Amino acid sequence: MALPQELVTEFNELCTHYPEKRAALIMTLHRCQEELGGWVSPEIMEDLAAYFEMEPVEVYGVASFYPMFRMSPPGEHVVSVCHNIACELRGAPEILKKVCEVTGASVHGTSSDGRFTVETVECQGACTTAPMFDLDGVYHEELTLESVEKILGGLS
Amino acid sequence: MIPAGETYLLNRVENQGSETLASYREHGGYIAIEKILEENTPFDQVIEEIKDSGLRGRGGAGFPTGLKFSFMPDPEKDPRPRYLAVNADESEPGTCKDRILLREDPHGLIEGILIACRAIRADAAYVYVRGEYRKEYDNFFAALAEAREAGLVGKNIAGSGWDCEIWTHKGAGAYICGEETGLMESLEGKRGHPRPKPPFPAGFGLWGKPTTVSNVETLFNLPFILNRGARWFRTMGTENSPGNILCGISGHVERPGVYEVPLGIPARTVLEEYAGGVWKGRKLKAFFPGGSSTGLLPAASIDVPMDHDGLKEAGSMLGTGAIMVLDETACTVRAMEVVARFYDHESCGQCSQCREGTQWLYQIFKRLENGQGKVEDVELLDSLAHGMAPGKTICALADAAAIPTHAIVRHFKDEMMEHANLGRCPLSHDHQLDEQREPAEAGA
Amino acid sequence: MTTIQIDGQDVEVDATKPLVHALHTNGTDVPTYCYHPGLSAVGSCRICQVEVAMGDGPGRVVVACRTPIAEGMKVFTSTDKAHAVRRECLEFLLKNHPLDCPICDKAGECDLQDFSFAEGQAEGRSSEPRRNLDKRKSLGDVIVLDEERCILCSRCVRFMEEVPKTPQLTVSGLGARSTISTFADRPLTGNYQGNLADVCPVGALTLKKFRFQARVWNLRKTPSTCGECSRGCSITNEVLRSNELKRIRPRYNGDVNEWWMCDAGRFSVDRHPLEGRLSGALIRGETGLTTAPARVGMERVADALRTHAKPVVLGSAWLTVEEGQALVDLSKLLGVEARFVAPGPNDLADDLLHTGDPCPNRRGLTELGLTAIDSAQALEAIAGTEAAVLIGERVLETIGAEALTEVPATVRLFSFDTVALDAPALRAALGVPSSIERDGHWVNVDGHRGMLTIARPAPADVASIVQSIEELSSRLSPAETSGGATS
Repeated sequence: MALPQELVTEFNELCTHYPEKRAALIMTLHRCQEELGGWVSPEIMEDLAAYFEMEPVEVYGVASFYPMFRMSPPGEHVVSVCHNIACELRGAPEILKKVCEVTGASVHGTSSDGRFTVETVECQGACTTAPMFDLDGVYHEELTLESVEKILGGLS
Repeated sequence: MIPAGETYLLNRVENQGSETLASYREHGGYIAIEKILEENTPFDQVIEEIKDSGLRGRGGAGFPTGLKFSFMPDPEKDPRPRYLAVNADESEPGTCKDRILLREDPHGLIEGILIACRAIRADAAYVYVRGEYRKEYDNFFAALAEAREAGLVGKNIAGSGWDCEIWTHKGAGAYICGEETGLMESLEGKRGHPRPKPPFPAGFGLWGKPTTVSNVETLFNLPFILNRGARWFRTMGTENSPGNILCGISGHVERPGVYEVPLGIPARTVLEEYAGGVWKGRKLKAFFPGGSSTGLLPAASIDVPMDHDGLKEAGSMLGTGAIMVLDETACTVRAMEVVARFYDHESCGQCSQCREGTQWLYQIFKRLENGQGKVEDVELLDSLAHGMAPGKTICALADAAAIPTHAIVRHFKDEMMEHANLGRCPLSHDHQLDEQREPAEAGA
Repeated sequence: MTTIQIDGQDVEVDATKPLVHALHTNGTDVPTYCYHPGLSAVGSCRICQVEVAMGDGPGRVVVACRTPIAEGMKVFTSTDKAHAVRRECLEFLLKNHPLDCPICDKAGECDLQDFSFAEGQAEGRSSEPRRNLDKRKSLGDVIVLDEERCILCSRCVRFMEEVPKTPQLTVSGLGARSTISTFADRPLTGNYQGNLADVCPVGALTLKKFRFQARVWNLRKTPSTCGECSRGCSITNEVLRSNELKRIRPRYNGDVNEWWMCDAGRFSVDRHPLEGRLSGALIRGETGLTTAPARVGMERVADALRTHAKPVVLGSAWLTVEEGQALVDLSKLLGVEARFVAPGPNDLADDLLHTGDPCPNRRGLTELGLTAIDSAQALEAIAGTEAAVLIGERVLETIGAEALTEVPATVRLFSFDTVALDAPALRAALGVPSSIERDGHWVNVDGHRGMLTIARPAPADVASIVQSIEELSSRLSPAETSGGATS
């Protein structure tokens, strides 16, 4: 597999922002995850290694460090529920339970119909609007059990 | 000594289109940097003004900003490229203030960045935005494009002949990348492992070049200081902690939100007058004054002044000024289980004491909360926290886990012992549904 | 040189190296895990903490591996505080470390075990379950990884990046969930993997070949030189009481190999078996080759040399300088050219250690005046004479068993080698000690001397090569040699 040309063009421009090309690696990992299946596959790591003239193992070391990079394919939708202290104080455990109930996925798992992956995440910076989850890159804040049902149930 | 009332930080965020260049200009934006460029104000004069203002870093460490800027080497002696790294990684639990500035007033940050770059004579700035802040990143990115187009960023800024580039960059979910050297490693495309110091960033920073790392809110203050002067800045706050801060307050309060307050304001005032007091008519039990790393203080400390000295005297720290409130039904052991779990998750793993210690602390708090704790665990927690910090590790994440551990042992030992003796959490409750706050009562 | 104080003593130290180097060269026992003098210093394990003060200032705790030397620095390695911080650090390291010593190959040479014994608590305070990870993860043909034992010092990662310069390992994940990994479970490649077992301070990375083979305290260690190429890395031969060579490890040599050696050398253990060795002599009689005492074989060789003009005498490329000199003397006595058979270059040459030239002493022998010839030239010489004597280990292998079997029986062929060859031309074969059973030295490609030391006795009735050659010389009285300088 090779990186799609549009991405390569984008990456070439991105690299001009830095005195050393390799600095763009994390930005490119984000873009690959966004555009190529929602996770960072071994193929993506090999392609990026070739692009940056690094060894695949070095790309792997970087990708595996950051919680936002998924190392296995997710469901259609990813629900990231914050379970840190401000959200805990505003009922995060119940929200998490509700999310699992509505989606049919267990925590750090994917529902059997492949629609939802549910994960817990650390503080997302929505403490004064807790509790929250991030759904496919969008924050949903001040959640209630009802709003969880509405937001997730309402997805096509 | 604390005059209530004068605000400047959040004055523009409610404006329609506040994130646009037009709106920023309308409200006096870019005047400070344009003046500096027009008058060719010497860099050291800019630094002097910042030093005189007494501005201290708003990212958690509270280091005097002017002093930090003065650490950069003389370009005559060290002609290598030089950088400003803007820390928009905001991941300290409880903290959500930089987010507002990035999203609602990005031009204010851009101007602050330009002023800082001028002061430290940097060629370029990199704005490291945490990966989860997508809207914030997009708004800032759009503002940057506007600024570039208007000739305010890039080559020959405002026709002055000065070149300064600003680039955006994303993080990917690691708290440790908010540590200044972890941030630099991450920006260079590597694992976010903090670097041993020395060398310090001003001597060896991004790609080994002189670098200053500054927090978003810190830089955001600069246009105000340069426009209105250090003397004006010192009319707010306290002697050693001048200015206003964005104080977030969350947890068991009626009106959680981010409020602009003068430094030195009593925590009680923030709680009662800004956040509407403890919710549901309940009593205060405990609170984190400045993010999870600052540790719990008991209700009796609620009159503590929210500034660097006041909180230090109370045995805690200002940190990011993110207050998190626990009411009488909350369990401090459960709170620490959650907090310890966070540090276990975020330790980069380099230092033996932190890698193993953060996990160990979490395991003990978890057992204690779930009824499998022993009386000896209380002493053990304190002892482990002592083995982790201070000054024994590459960075302060170990301290960030150790300090709240010491704090709960100091202030809530009885509650911890009760857990051990009872063999369960004495406050075990099911987080009833009626504790959910109605969306209509949303704070700022 | 700069003067600092270590535990109250003024010492002169090398200011270009970190403090930990000064401590170690002055006999101070501060443990190190992530620090290795041949790799970059990262300051991550924190075990080398000591207290340092400048002048009369207060002491502060630093990691010695990342502390630069400063004139007038005062270092305190043994204060209560210094002991306490190292002990605390150790406790954290032992918290997840499995209690594997009874089954771990590293026991007896484990830095973690050593420091635990010296400084640690008798009892652990953790009642938490330890990490549950892969205890025998194959990393290819050479190395097996025990993830539970790993203390994440990252020496292995840095070794691959900095020494052979082939990054193949990384720390994956973060925090207490980190493990050492290759990419996509690929096996390690390259000729330097064995060094990973040396650099690993604990028993996380171990050699598959050495797994459960021996307890290291039962190994008798002798310094020597590797014989697999002309680099001549300094090594240690490690032999069990049974005299079996169990392990070869590199020995530090600043001029040649520093701390490293290649796998071709490390695993040349297989070159020195105890069984199948030629003891005494084998003589060809009517029924074939039969055993005989060495002196009988010696007489056969001497007789052939006395009888035939222009015999061919060829040394092996593994002869030491001392043996080479003896061969030069014998050749002069016989009035023939002094030559040795050199195997051709192999494809193992690299930018690091391996030269690609299998001869450990090409330079030494050549400087003595011996001429190197290849196996084809050797065969030609043998076929064109009436008496040929081959002296030294691996000479039969170098010339080639098949080719030697083709040599017509009209040639009287003799060999002094570690093994014999039942070729029709072979009249007698005598045993020699292998390179781990001899004293002497080789000269490497750059002119550095590599000493050989006897690691175990040679088989019975096997004399040293120098003795055998001198024995031959003495049996050839000057008056009886033909083809001497006078005729």
